This record gives sequence, C-alpha cells and structure tokens, in this order.
Amino acid sequence: MARRARGRGMAASWYGIARTATIDRAGAWVEMDDGGTAKVVTGVTEIGEGILTVLAQIAAEELGVRPEDVTIGDNDTARSPEAAHAGATRQTYMIGNSVAIACRDARVKLDRELADHWQVDAGTIKAFDGEIWAEGTNKRMTVEEAIDLCKKRGVVPVGSGSFTAHGTGLDPVDGSGAPWQAYVFGCQVAEVEVDTLTGEVQVLGMWAVHDVGRAINPRGVEGQIEGGIVQGLGQALMEDYQLDKGHTTTHGFAKYILPTSLDIPQINTKLVEDRDPRSPLGAKGIGEPALVPTAPAIMNAIYDAIGVRITSLPATPEAILKALEEKEAAALQMTG
Amino acid sequence: MPDTMLNMTVNGRKVAKPINGQYRLLDFLREEVHLTGAKEGCGAGECGTCSVFVDGKLVKSCLMPTAKADGAEIQTVEGLAGRGELTALQQAFHKTGASQCGYCIPGMVMAATSALRENPYADIEEIKERLGGNICRCTGYTKIFEAVELARDVMNGRLPATALDPDGAGESYIGNNVRRLDAPSKVSGALKYAGDMVMQDMLHMQVLRSPHPHARIVSIDTSAAEALEGVECVITHKDVPGKDGFGVFVHDQPVMARDKVRYVGEAVAAVSAETHEIARRALALIKVEYEELPGVFDPEEAMQPGAVVVHDYAQDNVVKHIPIRKGDVEAGFAAADIIVENSYSTQQVEHAYLEPEAGLAYVDHDGVVTVVSPSQNITHHRHMLSTIIDKPINKVRFIMSPVGGGFGGKEDMIYQGMLALTAMKTGRPVRLVFTREESILSTAKRHPSRVTYKMGLKNDGRITAVSFRMISDGGAYGMSTEGVMRKAAILSLGPYDLANVEIDTYGIYTNNTPSGAFRTFGAMQAQFATESHLDICAEKLGLDPFEIRRRNMMKIGSLTHTQQKLETVSIAEVLETAEAFCRWETGAPTSRGATRTDLGGPDTRASCTLGARFRQIVDDKKQEVA
Repeated sequence: MARRARGRGMAASWYGIARTATIDRAGAWVEMDDGGTAKVVTGVTEIGEGILTVLAQIAAEELGVRPEDVTIGDNDTARSPEAAHAGATRQTYMIGNSVAIACRDARVKLDRELADHWQVDAGTIKAFDGEIWAEGTNKRMTVEEAIDLCKKRGVVPVGSGSFTAHGTGLDPVDGSGAPWQAYVFGCQVAEVEVDTLTGEVQVLGMWAVHDVGRAINPRGVEGQIEGGIVQGLGQALMEDYQLDKGHTTTHGFAKYILPTSLDIPQINTKLVEDRDPRSPLGAKGIGEPALVPTAPAIMNAIYDAIGVRITSLPATPEAILKALEEKEAAALQMTG
Repeated sequence: MPDTMLNMTVNGRKVAKPINGQYRLLDFLREEVHLTGAKEGCGAGECGTCSVFVDGKLVKSCLMPTAKADGAEIQTVEGLAGRGELTALQQAFHKTGASQCGYCIPGMVMAATSALRENPYADIEEIKERLGGNICRCTGYTKIFEAVELARDVMNGRLPATALDPDGAGESYIGNNVRRLDAPSKVSGALKYAGDMVMQDMLHMQVLRSPHPHARIVSIDTSAAEALEGVECVITHKDVPGKDGFGVFVHDQPVMARDKVRYVGEAVAAVSAETHEIARRALALIKVEYEELPGVFDPEEAMQPGAVVVHDYAQDNVVKHIPIRKGDVEAGFAAADIIVENSYSTQQVEHAYLEPEAGLAYVDHDGVVTVVSPSQNITHHRHMLSTIIDKPINKVRFIMSPVGGGFGGKEDMIYQGMLALTAMKTGRPVRLVFTREESILSTAKRHPSRVTYKMGLKNDGRITAVSFRMISDGGAYGMSTEGVMRKAAILSLGPYDLANVEIDTYGIYTNNTPSGAFRTFGAMQAQFATESHLDICAEKLGLDPFEIRRRNMMKIGSLTHTQQKLETVSIAEVLETAEAFCRWETGAPTSRGATRTDLGGPDTRASCTLGARFRQIVDDKKQEVA
C-alpha cells in the first residue's frame, strides 16, 4: 500500500425543524416607523447564525423597506414577546414566520389608509426597497411618505404575529406521533487522504447538498453548512473530552484539540429548496442538520482509502494506526 | 509599594496609567484602557482571540506581562480603521459573511491583517498557515479565507475597490445575499458581549466548585471568606428563597450543591467582592467538609442492579428511556436474506464556543431582578428563576446578550441563579466571567453514545427490519438528556422507509460531567451508526452506497419510524444532486480508493504541507540571487 491513500465516502441524513414533539410557538411585534424605517421586536437574539439579518430581510421584503432600515430588538423578557429558545434549528422557521405574519398585519393598516387616500383597492398596493405604489396606476410614493400619511390620518401602522408549529408528543409504548411538521434531508460526500505511516487523516474535499426549504440568505446558509461540517470533522477526527473517574484530563485547548485553518477541506455546497407547504415563508432550516452526515461520510471515506472501519469516534492517528495493525495481523493469520 | 506607572501608545493615543493589578496586557487593555475588542478565549495563548499588535508584531495579549509593554506602541482591533470606518479587510469580512458569533473575529482580523502586512501577495496556503493560531468555532473558516483573499487582491490592486461593495437588492430581499447587519460591530470589536459589560459599583463573582465526583456535604463554613476585606457576600444553597432546581426537562439541579455534589466542577458556593482578585482569594478561605461517596462513571454499570444511585428519585439511574416500535421486527428479520450486526460509539464533545460563560445581574429601581447573559433560552430561564427566587414572573427579567457561540451549550441555567441571588442579597450589580478551564470543567457536553445495531436486508438491498439500541451517559444532572434521547430515537434510522423497527434510547445518570444540548441533539450520534452500518451492508451486497440508500429512502406518503405520514420528501433529489455534484464513481464500497478515478478534482484542496511562509522567503531569496 502506498504511504498516502485516498478515498471517498458518503452519508445521508434527515432532521426535524423546530422543537420536538410539542406545540412550538413564537411571537413578534412590528412597527412601521418614521423615516421609512421599521422596528421588529421579538424575544431572541443572534447566536451567530445570522438570524438578525434574516429577520431584517423578511421584514424588508414584507414591509417594502431595505434591510438596513430595520431595527431589531429587544431580546428581553420584560420588553418583547415570547420567542422561546435559540436552538432546535427553529429560528428562521419559528421567528421568521412570526415576523412575516406581524409585518403583514402592519401592512394591512398602512395599505388600508393608502388605498383610501389613492382611492384604489388595497390589494393592488405593492412595496419594495423603500417605494410603495398601486399597480396599474401611476400612484407611487416612498414608504417614508406613506408612513407619514398614515400617521397624519391617525393610524400608527403596527402589527403582531404569532406562529405555531404543531408537533405531537410520542406514545409512551410504541413511540408513535408526529414530532415535527417540517423535515429536511441532506447528503455529504467526503474525500480523504490517510497517511498510513502517521495515521493522520486529512479531509481534502467535502460536497454538501442540503434541503433547507426556501433559502432566505444563501450565503448565510452556506456559512452554517461550512461551520457544521467543520464541527463534524472535529468530532470525527480529533475532539475528545476525556474523564478519569469523573475528573477531566482535557481541561484546555492544549489538550482538547479543535480544527484550525489548516484542517479545513474545500467545502462545496449546493442547496435544494423544497419549500415548506405549511408556513408563509416556505423556509425550513439548516443549523443542526449540517453536521449530521459529516462524521459517517468521513469514516466511510477512510474505509474506502485504507480498508479499516472506524466505529468508535474519534478516528485519531492512534486509532487509525491501531486499526491498520489489527488489519495486518488479521491478514497474516489468514495467510499463515 | 507604589504601583508601577506605565507609558504606552494605544491606537495612536498616549496612555499613562498604573498597572493597578492588571498584570496581563489583555486585562490592562480591557479593564484600564476600556478597549474590549481583544477577548479572552482561553487565557493560555491557544485561541488567538486576544491578538493585538505590539510595536507592529502580532502578540497574544493574554501571554504578555503588562509591564513588558511599557513604552510600546500598541494597536488593537479598534485602532485599525478610523472611527466609524472599516479597513479593506474588515469590509471583506463583512462582504463574505466571515463573522458568525463574532467572538473570535477581532483576533482573526488582527491575524489576517498581520498576514497581509507580512506578505501582501500571500497565497491561500500561507494565509491558512498565518491564521493557524486563531480558533473559530462557528464559520468553518471558509468564508474567512475568502475574505482574506478578497482583501489581499483589493489591497494589492489586482481587484478594484468596488469588489468590496454589497450586492444589489435585485428583485427581492428573500434569496438575496444581504450582508450581515451585525458584521461591522463584530469586525471592529465594537460589540459588547456580557463579559465586556461593566456597571457602576459592580461586584466580581468567583465560584467554589466541587473537587469530588460524588460526596456528601457535611458542612460549609464561609465565615473566614466573609471576613476578608473587600468581600461583599458569600452565597450557598441556604440563600435560595424559593424552590431550588433547574434543568431543561427535569429540574434536578440546585443552583449550588445542596446535600451532595454529583460531579467535579459543580458549584458549591459563590463569593462576590470588590475585585476579581479578592474574590479569588476568598474562595480559598471557604471550608467545605465532604464525605466522599463511591461514584459511578460508566452508564452501563449505572444500569446494573445495586449500582451507586446518583439521584434518589431515579433509583435505576435512568433519566429517560424512549422506545419506538413499528411493524413486526421478528418477522422482518425472518424474511431477511442477510442479517448484519455491529456496534458503534461516539465520544463526549465540548462545545468550545470561544466566548466562555459570562453574565451580569442587578436589581432595578422597581425591584425587578435582571440577568444579562448569553442565555439561549431566556423564556424558560425566567420561569425557572422566578420559582427559585420566589418572585412573580414580571419581577424577573432576562436580557439575552450577544452570544459568542452557543451550539446548545448555553441552554442550561448553570450560573444565572447565583448572579441573581447575589444581586438580591447585596443590592449591587455583580458580574461573573468563567475561565476557559471552568467552562470546560463545569458545563454540559455532547452525549457520548454506544449503539448496538442489527439490520436485516434482502439481497436487493431492501431493509426488512432494524433493531437499534443506544445507551448514553447523561452525567450528573438531567439537563437536556430527555429531549436528546427523544430526538436521537426519532431520527436514529435515517431517511428510510422501514416497515419493521425497534428503537430504544437510554439516557443514564452517572457522576461524570453532565451531557446536554449540543447541535443535532442526539441525531448525529444515532445517524453516525446508521450511515456507517449502511455502507457495511452495501459492501456485503455489492451495492453502490447511493444505490442502497435510494432503494430504501422515504417518499411522499411514507410513514416515518414514528408512523407520521410525510407530505413532502426531498431525499431523492438530494441524493441525485450530491452524486452528480461530486462526480461520484459508481461502485460498491469495497475500499477501492486506490483505483478510483474521481479523486483529486478541482473541487478539492491540496494535501497540506507545512512551511508555506518559509517557502515564500526561500523563493524571494532565490529571486534576489538571480
């Protein structure tokens, strides 16, 4: 066998969106504000996934303003409606839809005043990127002017939204139930190079195809996939929190090894946008699903490269060398 | 002894200040100069979040003694661009979406700035090497590489400055790569995380933690600590006025250990003092008498009759067992042409978000107990805290500060209770910032798993039955174990239409570091087993890995393992797209890597060889000679 052996492996996956086996819900408030701006208030904040930008995009689209015109607050149990937790791949799905619903509610109020002012049917009013107009007419103004007009008629264009995802609990005996209303599917392929002298595995390429529903911000989705893959790679090859009778022996980053810039494969991503039929936006999610197939794809690729199957994570250099030794010993026994 | 006076230039301004106990340059910059762009991620020079320039050299400021910087010229992330402006590199980070949680980003921007200062034409290999001392847990580094290459090309003139401009609005803001709105605050170091926040008259908290995995607390004597000058208060479980207990599913964990400790690192008492240093000294003065108890450290041992019991309410040590049954498994195995059995295991994994836990608490003018922290679940935390401190819901307020990485690890309310109790007892604001070691020691991990797998298949690859059993070490407290076991069970067998299944997942109490929520909530552990197992079966049957999955995949109208009828299923399209996208060479997984023809394409990177930086220097020298 050559010292450096290459191989490929794949793995598929699926995942449920939002909280499991329960009735998930989230609320939001919206106000179309002076200067053609908007306020969106909901009870969670950014944990890095880009939700603030996604909510601003949704609000911008629904209200006809620009994302940078949207201010998002307040992430505060005393000042904002319940949105529950930042987890379970639920933010875009739960909070995103609740913000969309709240925006539509505010727009109904704005459009009603504008329709009356222009003497058109409210259904003909469209807005985008700071402009608002009645289709089929030459009536048009800025959203800033429309909000001003609305307020001068005595109406503050505010809205509220609540979005629910219905899951049911599982039967305690046979586990039957409908834990989520939306599912996503994924597949990743890994290409690895194994150094059979040192046992080191390098992942040179990853191909990730994920159904995310309608992608609100494709670049943000890619970022989630890349981050998920690298966490999956860490678990596959190096990360290992170890205990000795309850005492950790990996208490810092010198002992607990994490992937760095030199461990990163080229990551190739393609999105499948199978829209969710049960929600206004059609979006689903990607935060957690992104890392589900990574480790098995890498282990399958290692098998392809050197013919040893690692069933116990992580596949550290030591584990690879040990498995290679065992394989050789078994081969000797067969021939001997 | 008079405090040492220091003179230095920080971001172009003269600074003359005493060290004032801030012996590391990082602390001095953060606490005395009030520049919080440099963060503490590890305190040991391993993560790079604290990177600054000292006399033009990139330095990890957590490792540099403050006194050594006397007379030096220091540049921090705040000083890279003019006020309200961003450098080309910071703009490139904004453009490409290179920041996610943002906590590592000031350090990453500093390292990348250094890389391009050292070599304005650095290639991707050299860039990667120069960023090698900076850890990012969110982004997977890929967008960071893209940003540095973009900035390099704009700065060296290969690309016009307009390459940094945002994309246009197009026809819709949905499906549009709108730049992250929070990126400017992250790439410039302006964003304040909980550990960066200060309040007037603020106390500093330190926590005394259990040195034993399992012990009865005989007594706690806090009198010497309380007597230390500068100590404002010490709290223990006795200070909890309401019903003590928190957890995501079962409220089995007290704010501080009550009658016994169940894992190493569990909070026992908390000291709050005028300075961090005094609080640390006071910890050593608290006397806790323990009676050590035998511990149980293996979940399968913990399931045996007569095993050490971790919680009285669960004599069998089972946190949660989730069963799923569908069809007739015995008949399914009887109908199989082959039966394949194997076992799989996964390890405990640390979240390693770059922002260690931190929080502030205060009681406001209306008597509202307020906690500011990177909590991933302020809604649930306020419910639990209201019961713990025995106050109505509207007298408890949780504010979610920017989260410097969570991944599920910040769903547990493991320190906010101590902050709230101290604020109530003292009437003063109080802040707690974990060290990296404390974060690793005391917070939940990804559940480790042991899976026993049995699968029956027909010769054509159709699966006739599956039996799946997973045992997971939940550690000392329940935290998210119940939910993790549920999700692991529901999703365990993957996106396949299976008639006969038998699934059992067990979360078990032990005296190990607790396991909790971690990105995928049990699904990756379970599906790792399924996806490994399918490849083993594919090899035995001589089937291509895509093909065996296609022959079993769910379709519209399929019943899931929990017998839910699916309305829409995209797995067929996903598999087909992936197969074409990676140029997959069809064939059974018989370890045929050596003969594959689909390897090493332009969509892979080169095998890593160290020394890109030095190679460059050698090349330059060669050019000089020539």
